[in-house]
Parts: sequence; structure tokens; C-alpha cells
Amino acid sequence: MQFQTLKTDVLILGSGGAGLFAALHASRANPGLDITIAIKGLLGKCGCTRMVQGGYNVALSPGDSVERHFMDTISGGKWLPDQDMAMRLCETAVIRVQELENELGCFFDRNDDGSLHHKAFAGQTFDRTVHKGDLTGIEIISRLMEQVRALPLQMMEEHRALALLPSRDGDVLAGVLLVDMRSGEFRVVKAKTVLLATGGGPTMYRYHTPSGDKSMDGLAMSLRLGLGLRDMEMVQFHPTGLLAGRDTRMTGTVLEEGLRGAGGYLLDGQGERFMLNYDAEGERATRDIVSRAIYAEMRAGRTTSNGGVYIAMSHLGPDLVAAKFPGMVKRCADCGFDLAAGRVEVVPTAHYFMGGVVVTTDTRTAMPGLFVAGEDAGGAHGANRLGGNGVANSTVFGGIAGDEMAAQASLQNHWVEPDSEVIEAAMERSMLPFRQAAGSINSIRDRLLDLMWDDVGVLRDADGIKRAQVEMVALKTELQACGLADDNRVFNLSWHDWLNLSSLIEVSEVIAAAALSRENSRGAHYREDFPEVGSLDDSYFTIAHSDPEKVGQTVRVECQPVEFSIVKPGESLIH
Amino acid sequence: MSDSSTASITVHVWRGNSEGGSFDEFQVPQQPSQTILDIVTWIQRNLDAGLSYRFACRVGMCGSCAMMVNGIPRWTCRTHVNKVMRDKQLTIEPLRNLPVIKDLACDMSEFFAKWNQAQGQFQGSTTRDEKIAPISPCSPEREAANAAIECINCAICYASCDVVAWNRDYLGPAALNRAWSLQNDVRDTAGESRLAAVAGDAGCHRCHSQQGCASYCPNELNPTASIAGLKRLTASDFLRRRYRSRHA
Repeated sequence: MQFQTLKTDVLILGSGGAGLFAALHASRANPGLDITIAIKGLLGKCGCTRMVQGGYNVALSPGDSVERHFMDTISGGKWLPDQDMAMRLCETAVIRVQELENELGCFFDRNDDGSLHHKAFAGQTFDRTVHKGDLTGIEIISRLMEQVRALPLQMMEEHRALALLPSRDGDVLAGVLLVDMRSGEFRVVKAKTVLLATGGGPTMYRYHTPSGDKSMDGLAMSLRLGLGLRDMEMVQFHPTGLLAGRDTRMTGTVLEEGLRGAGGYLLDGQGERFMLNYDAEGERATRDIVSRAIYAEMRAGRTTSNGGVYIAMSHLGPDLVAAKFPGMVKRCADCGFDLAAGRVEVVPTAHYFMGGVVVTTDTRTAMPGLFVAGEDAGGAHGANRLGGNGVANSTVFGGIAGDEMAAQASLQNHWVEPDSEVIEAAMERSMLPFRQAAGSINSIRDRLLDLMWDDVGVLRDADGIKRAQVEMVALKTELQACGLADDNRVFNLSWHDWLNLSSLIEVSEVIAAAALSRENSRGAHYREDFPEVGSLDDSYFTIAHSDPEKVGQTVRVECQPVEFSIVKPGESLIH
Repeated sequence: MSDSSTASITVHVWRGNSEGGSFDEFQVPQQPSQTILDIVTWIQRNLDAGLSYRFACRVGMCGSCAMMVNGIPRWTCRTHVNKVMRDKQLTIEPLRNLPVIKDLACDMSEFFAKWNQAQGQFQGSTTRDEKIAPISPCSPEREAANAAIECINCAICYASCDVVAWNRDYLGPAALNRAWSLQNDVRDTAGESRLAAVAGDAGCHRCHSQQGCASYCPNELNPTASIAGLKRLTASDFLRRRYRSRHA
């Protein structure tokens, strides 16, 4: 098959906080480098950093410390985080927020005296979340985007990565195969260094929050390269996603945490409060507890007409609600709901993926030449991510990746030839739907989303997970045989729907296998047949490998003990 | 195919590319909760797999999905069908004033190139190793900067602007609005060169204050007022320079 070949020193996949920071840092470290950034959508406009509402955790206020931020991260992650990564995250966040303000022009909310405002956020022992109202991500990405757009780099917008390409001997990464979504043409970009920063985004669940372009392509490509993925059972659910029916893309999008914090009620289908039956904190309990309670109510059938529960704010006074949450009230109103005075149907919704590629603290992987940062990388959050640590993670490690890649690419004066068989096989695989009779991709998608929601979701047990595994093998086979109704490759969303589903199924298989292997309940992972947390001292994390080319269940999961390199359970850095 | 889909909507969708196109008609079942983006998605998933459009966040944060809906530029993800439908009819077209890639998806390159031309980037004087400057949120400069800041570059203002339609070089409301916000940022050091960049033939003085941008901005920003601010700044800068040159 035909493809065009390009060459670059640094290739970045993705333009969220990680990708954009990598571009800025690599360019600043060595302005002579040829830098290319390839994005599935438009630069800075797709992905999830832009959707950050809460803010950015950073130990900057008097009385707070990096050690305290670190301890909150470890404790929130239920002792599973890679401690060296978590420490690097907390330390570097300080410099990164100063960089965002002083060099890139972000303006975070201030106190009246002009000092930076830090807000309280769940799971933290200090008010340390820097923010811009409840639209922090827009400020960060807009400022990053305009800086990056002014750099002399190569932009490949609406280019989807299809495969990470190793060298012939498989020893190093040689480049990436992409498809130009606007023309349908294939491109191979040979690169001295590659950053995978496509973002996670668990969109294989019936209800999910991430941007619609997210489909776990990065992790699917990493699996095919043979890399190990850690913590793949750890999927974070947000308790209150909008529920508006199956046929609207509004369904699943987040109604913010602050609504419950401010005193909002959750009501079952009959209009009765139920949270106090589950936790003394009621609606103010943590995300995981509230998500499980709502899920249990739903399973018991005490639901609204669309199968969820209600959030009600009106008892606080509609005017007060409208004044305090203008963005949320307006969004609901645009969609036809009255959040201030009425009730809005909500449902738990898959939000963030703690799992990802095993990396070092300087974003390197087991494959020389490949760097991974942001939600594609595992380790920083362990079993649960604190709100406000997501954007810190992507911007901190994205910047580090940019520095590291620039240093490495500057020393290397040659490109490596990618394995032509891998290129050919990946193109062939992506063209598969054009060679089959048109099928019903919608039904395959619906079944996957329901399957993951029902059997590998908020509450799990061995029977359900095994049922899902069998069904996933069938779905994979059906997708292979499912063709497209339109054979024009130009801006063909249906083709990309097919490719999205392919990635989602491959990664779902790994989530299921990791969830089956962890026979305890930690953080975001809850096994009804193993509800105990397990010994903290014997904490382990999972590493999964998979061979998506083989038929059947091909995921191997092994467990590795957590190395308590900085602090052991029972100890603290805070005295 | 929900049970509630008793009525159907007649949707006229523009199909084509940079060389031209025409309208296709589709019948889409009406749902209680349904945005324009849902209509377009329904068509692509159920009626015509080849329909091209662009979206990302689904919640009005990314500004990727703007289209002309019954002749008016809108975020399709946040526009409920009931708000815009007339006689069970909808007309959906690609955003005005931008080249079409295919069907409903536009090429936004020129929009962002103009953001650069207007020097829509912050340039500070301090570094990542220094503390963050204390700045009162109530100072007049900061209030002016904040009033213009919540732009998500969706290009709705650009599509609504007649001056852009007449003069392809005109920088447009979004880029100029960003420049104005930066001119009021007390931390920024590039004010002088930015002012020169927006004062030229394609800059702020081209604006006819027709208010299309301010009428349609989904975030209720007022680029016309920002551009008026830039006009005042450039005028006072011009007078100051003239005075200096005569009295040097």
C-alpha cells in the first residue's frame, strides 16, 4: 500500500497538557530541532485537559508542603502509586504552575490581596487547588495552544496514529504510522524520539465523560508494541454524569463535584434521599463511595425514567444555585433541564484512567526512543487519582518528556528504518472494514458499552468479568467482519468509529483481565466477591501484556510488589 | 430508535467540499433530549455513513463543533433542537467565512493564523523560578483583561462577521479580542509590538461595529467592545508618537 514518508527529530502524539508542554520544552531546550506534533483533532481543541473543571494541585501556599501533597497523593492512591513518580509530580508541580503563570500567561484566581487562591478539594488535607473559576482547563490549554501555534514546528492536525513502529530488530522505536483523516492517506513519520500523549479516556463504558475523540488508541498501540500496562483495573468513575437518554452525546458529561459539596441532594426514582443509607457523610462522601451507592440503587431498580437517579439543588434556593453555579445551570438549561429549580437525572460515569504504560520518572519506557506522559502513563495515581492531580500529571510529565526528548534527539544524528512488515500489517488492519460488506457497527458499540458498564464497571465480581471476557472475544470477531457503508476515505467518521472501537475492545480485554486478577478492593476497583482492601504492607500492582493479533483471551497479568521507596504504610512524611 | 420518537424532523444538510456542494435531505426521529450535534450524529450513524463533521468535548468547552444552524452560527453540542427548529425543519451548514474540508467540517487554519498575526500570545518578564505576582483581581486593568478572556476559539464570531466576509485579510473579532485582553494584562511586555500588529490595514480599524460577534458569542463576550478598546489605544498611541516626533 502507498504511504508518504517524513522525518523529524521529535514527534509528539497529542495536544493536551502533556503534548503541548512537551513541544514547548523541546523547542526551548534546542530551537534547532525539527519538532512535529500530530493530533487526532485540532491542536489544543480535542482531548481532555481542556475539560478540566476543578483545578491544579500544587503546594504553593504558606503552611503547605510538597511532602503533604505527596502524602495525600499516596493515601488517595491507596498506597499503590509509584512513589518516585508521585514525588516528582508534587515537586515539579510548583515550578510548572509558576511557568504557566509567569511564562505562558495563565491567570489563576486570586484572593482580594492579589495572592493566588487555593481551594479545598476532596481527599486533601490542605487547600491547595489552584484554579480559574470552574474552567481551569480552558485557561491552561488556551494559553499553551497559542504559545505552541507561534512556534516554528510541523503541525499534523487531524492525523490519527495507527501504529508505533519499531526498528527491524525490534530494539528501538523508529517512528509512527499515521493516517491523514482529511485525505485518508497514510504517512510514516520517522522520528528520533516519540512522545505518546494521546490521553487515556475510558469511553468503552455506557456512561463516560471524556471528549468524543478519545478511544484509548495510545494504550492499544502500546500493547501491540509489547509494552506492559500497569494498574489497568483502575477506572475512576465520577458519581454525577448527566443522563438524558441513549441517543444524545450529552449523556455522561460531568455535573460538577461542587454541587454535592454545596449541599445538593441525590434522590432515587421515588424522590427519596438514599446516600445516608450508605455513608454518614451522605452526598458529601467521596467519589467512589457515591458512585457505588448510586450504582447499587440503580441495580435495585429504584431509578428515574432513564434509569438513573436525580440530583436536586432547589432546596438551597434556585437563585443561590444559579449564582453559585452559573456554568452548570446554563449548560443544563441549554440541554433542556432546570438545575436550579428542578431535578436533573444523573448516573455514575467513567471519568479517568489511572492505568497506563509503565514509565520511569523521566517518562522513558522499556522501548528506547518512546516516551509516554499524561493519562497514557501509569503509576502516578495508583488506585485512585485525586481531583486536581490529573492536569498536574500531564503538564509536569509532558514538560519533562520535552526536555528528555530534546536532549536525546540532539545527540542522535541518524534515523532508524522502521520495520516495513509492521507498517504493512497496520495499514492492512486499518483498511479491513473497506474490504467487508457493510455491517452494524452501532450494535457492536452498544454491546461493548453495556458489557463494560454491567460487568466490568463500578461493582465487579468474577462471574461478571468472565462473562464479559467471553463476549468481548465475540465482539472482536464481529468487528473484523463488519464493513463500512461508505468507501470514501476522506474525513470518514464512520471509518474512525470502527478504528475507535477496535482500540476500545483491545484495551477493554486488558481492563477485564486485570480486574479479574485483583482479588481485593482498592480505590476505584471494587470486587463484590472480594470486598476487603487487602494488606497494605503487601500491596502490589498489576502489569498486563497482550497480543491483540491472537484470537481468544490473550492477556497475561502479573503482579509486582509496590516498592515503598519513600514511605511505608503506617509512616508519614508529615510530623 | 427510542419509543419516544413519534415525530420526525426534516433536516437539510449541506454536502460538498472546497469546490462546492448542495443540500441533502434527511428525516430524523425527534427525541426529548436532542441537540443539533445529536441530529448530525444520528444521520452519520443511521442514514449516511459518509457524512463528515467535527466535534470533541460535547459540552461547550472545546469549540470544535460550531456550524450554521438555520443561518446562525452555533455550538451544535449546546443547541437544543427545540430552541431552533421551525415547522419541524432544520438547515445545517458549515461555518461561514472558513474554507470547507468536507460537508460540515471547516479548515480553521486561517482563523488561528490570524490569532498569531495579532500576537495573541503572552510575553512575560519573569520565569518559572520566580514567585507568582500578586495582582488584585479588582484592579481596572485586570477586570478589563478578564472581561475578554473566556474565549474558546470556536470561530462563531468569525463566522458572523461581515467584515471578514468582505475582506479576507481582516484579523477578525476573536484574534483582536485576545489582543485586547493581553493589552490589559499588566504582566505582559509585548504591548507595543502587538499594538502595531493590530493597527494595520487588516486590524482593528476595519471593524464597523455591527455587533454580529457580540450577538452570537455563546460565552456572551463582546469582541466589538474589545476592538473599540484597541481603536482607542492605537489612536492615543498615534497622537503620542506624533507629539514626540514634533517636539523631539
